[in-house]
Amino acid sequence: MFNGTGGAYLDFIRIRFLTMLAYRVNYYTGILIYTLNIGVYYFTWKAIYGGGGELGGFTASQMTTYLAVSWMARAFYFNNLDREISTDIRDGSIAIQFIRPYNYLMVKMMQGFGEGLFRFMLFMIPGMAIAMLFFPVKLPTAPEAWAGFLVMLFFSFLINSQLNIITGLMAFFVENNEGFMRMKRVVVDLFSGLIIPISLFPSWLGSIMEFLPFQAITYLPGSVFTGRIQGVGIWNVLGVQVLWFVLLLIPMVWLYRASRKRLFVQGG
Amino acid sequence: MSYYFGLIGEYLKNYIKTRMTYRADFWVEVISDLLFQVTNLIFIFVIFMHTDSLGGWSQSEVVFVYGFFMVPFGIFSCFVNLWGFSERYIVKGEMDRVMTRPAHNLFQIFLENVDPPALVGSIIGIVIMAVSGAQLDVAFEWWTIPALIILTISAVAIYTGIYTALTSLSFYSDAPTGILPLMYNVQGYGRYPVTIYNRAIQVLLTWIMPFAFVGVYPASLFLEREEMRNMAFLTPLMGAIFFAIGLTAWNYGVRRYRGAGS
Amino acid sequence: MSGNAIEVKDLRKTFKVQKNREGLKGAFLDLFKREYNEVAAVKDISFSIPQGEICGYIGENGAGKSTTIKMLTGILVPTSGHLTVGGYVPYEEREKFVQHIGVVFGQRSQLWWDIGVIESFQLLRKVYKVSEPDFKRRLDELVERLQLQDLLNRPVRKLSLGQRMRCELVAALLHNPSIVFLDEPTIGLDIVVKSEIREFLKDMNRDHGTTILLTTHDLQDIEALCSRVIMLDDGKIIYDGGLEELKNRWGTGREVQFQFGTPTRLEQLRSWTEALPALAWSAENELEAKVWIPLEINVSDVLGQVVSKADITDIKIIETNTDDIVRSIYQSGTAEKKPDATIREDEGVVATHV
Repeated sequence: MFNGTGGAYLDFIRIRFLTMLAYRVNYYTGILIYTLNIGVYYFTWKAIYGGGGELGGFTASQMTTYLAVSWMARAFYFNNLDREISTDIRDGSIAIQFIRPYNYLMVKMMQGFGEGLFRFMLFMIPGMAIAMLFFPVKLPTAPEAWAGFLVMLFFSFLINSQLNIITGLMAFFVENNEGFMRMKRVVVDLFSGLIIPISLFPSWLGSIMEFLPFQAITYLPGSVFTGRIQGVGIWNVLGVQVLWFVLLLIPMVWLYRASRKRLFVQGG
Repeated sequence: MSYYFGLIGEYLKNYIKTRMTYRADFWVEVISDLLFQVTNLIFIFVIFMHTDSLGGWSQSEVVFVYGFFMVPFGIFSCFVNLWGFSERYIVKGEMDRVMTRPAHNLFQIFLENVDPPALVGSIIGIVIMAVSGAQLDVAFEWWTIPALIILTISAVAIYTGIYTALTSLSFYSDAPTGILPLMYNVQGYGRYPVTIYNRAIQVLLTWIMPFAFVGVYPASLFLEREEMRNMAFLTPLMGAIFFAIGLTAWNYGVRRYRGAGS
Repeated sequence: MSGNAIEVKDLRKTFKVQKNREGLKGAFLDLFKREYNEVAAVKDISFSIPQGEICGYIGENGAGKSTTIKMLTGILVPTSGHLTVGGYVPYEEREKFVQHIGVVFGQRSQLWWDIGVIESFQLLRKVYKVSEPDFKRRLDELVERLQLQDLLNRPVRKLSLGQRMRCELVAALLHNPSIVFLDEPTIGLDIVVKSEIREFLKDMNRDHGTTILLTTHDLQDIEALCSRVIMLDDGKIIYDGGLEELKNRWGTGREVQFQFGTPTRLEQLRSWTEALPALAWSAENELEAKVWIPLEINVSDVLGQVVSKADITDIKIIETNTDDIVRSIYQSGTAEKKPDATIREDEGVVATHV
């Protein structure tokens, strides 16, 4: 019985992976456009750095690597679970999902992971290779930077998916949560450090960021990859990610329970 | 023509009535739109905390360009909202209903998806232009308002052309939905002085995905930046060309949908 | 305009369908190169419908009904063949043409979801360029006929399915089209609403001479409305003619289900209906039984025999639907062969009387 369910969960990963494979156009263009994104920011920062020096603890070369790896990490962890969930809620199909013998959130996570695997192999890796052709990206040499980064990348995916699920489930409680989903996307892109590394923010804003989960998505793994954080520091930032993963479970599960209750008591 | 203007009014009326039922949403949407703009402004401010000029442009100039950028973008987002076209009209089949009505199909789709909260962005864009323009002592001439109107219409035409052409891919492929959000990222780059980019990206943003014509080129006319003046004058032509491309691609797509041109 | 509202000659539509290869490797190959199959959905069909006729267009799912309707309404362009609808070639002058037709897709709404129905009507008035007085007259007429007075200001999402469908009809008819296409207009509705809608359509046809082409799976829709039926199977017309003839040839009969208050044995039931040996009785248990009644026997005759004798708590009559008829035609071979069989049967009857 448990075995069967576990197998079913794995199947969700596989099916989503295959589904993603079918959407070819998206990912050819996706790589190009991500590369373009990196390019635009690369030249913007180049203009800002001018001759050289350091900004917010980043050398020009570190900034290039940070940019490339941040965008390509986004290529991996990004998903539309929020939209999928809110669509399920709005068209009522969530009721069917809730009575099936599996956990809806687990299924969504698995689907997200299937998508992530696809994005990792067919988007992030080739994208990174192409970005390295065009821009002076420096890969880390320390094995612990690689190991740390890959583990942290997985947690980036988890935390980002948790935020997506939370935003998606909000559709139960607000009539139309399109606005929230858009806000979330913008906030994650800005405050995760994708567009500007957190250390370049004004110090007051930077210290607020330290108490929010967003930096755990991009800034922390990016810092490990660029070698700005090394050795024991890696364990510390990984700890921050794990902490946020656990903390975000609370509102997620609470919202899920509340949603079920709302669905079964009030009929949606 | 007056038929189509009448329809615009009628659809907007229905939009407003719909929104009356969900008033809170209206403001959530306005705020989320603005938040998107605010993050871009934050980017500009953070950059200028670390430098005095971006490729020879001051902070006020870059902010002014940004203000201009917001005006056509708001109008475009209000009237040309093609998000989810594939899902709603192709997968769920609403295209058939559209085709049984006596108005141009693309026009109906635009109107069925109007999004007036986006116009708030245009208004704020004008305010930003006014404030940063005052800081820069930008001269207010007799031609300022007419030029603003013409350049705005041209920029809206460029957006419309590009997005319509891309959306028309839905008629050929199952799910090109991923392209639109990605394009969303790219269009923002036209609002920075494109001269900071290398040649390839400049060419891309000028001629292939001409987003420089929705931001920095037209805005440079008001800032009297000589190096881009010719480009500013070119904006209406680019608008016409890209609008024509978009419409042609769309009509081809519809032909294909109807099974005539495959 | 000629006497025919719809004329179709050798109409054909083929689609390219993408082949999906199997498994991981197949999906990966599809990523780079796709393969297509050509599938003909409508195969060189011809028919014409005179003005003022109500014609049923039936067939199983996938038989080509919707494809035909989409060509007739100007949505799809035919691969080959000729068609005119209301004097227009639909796919050539779509925007002008659709001014003269009304379309209802039973499973798809054309109304604004969140606002009062009247707002959608107002909008459609503008879309179809209906003048204010014409609109008012037409709306009053429709509203009164369909009893929508109290619903006009209610948002669509608060309407029941039956109420919504009545509003959909109004939306499709506001511009007083001379030809109306109805795709499953009664799907999912309860019997009362169904019969209201049928009555309405009949009246409209009589009063305005509106030509109606409707697709349905409900044989009662056809029985109530259509003088003529066109039946489609696998993209070809397999029957075009009157309804009675169709039913006589291919209708397989009806089934009546009984529930009894006291145990009733099968033998008892058979003995009560001894006079009608063609009946086929079967029973699940002593409280439930079914009887199969061939077309030539009236259901009321059977009921008359049983009702007076048994303690009945519930009766259900199950009519053959169009799908059953299509299936029985399909099983008996093509439609062309069948008439011979009928004739032979008739001859047989004649022979016994001689």
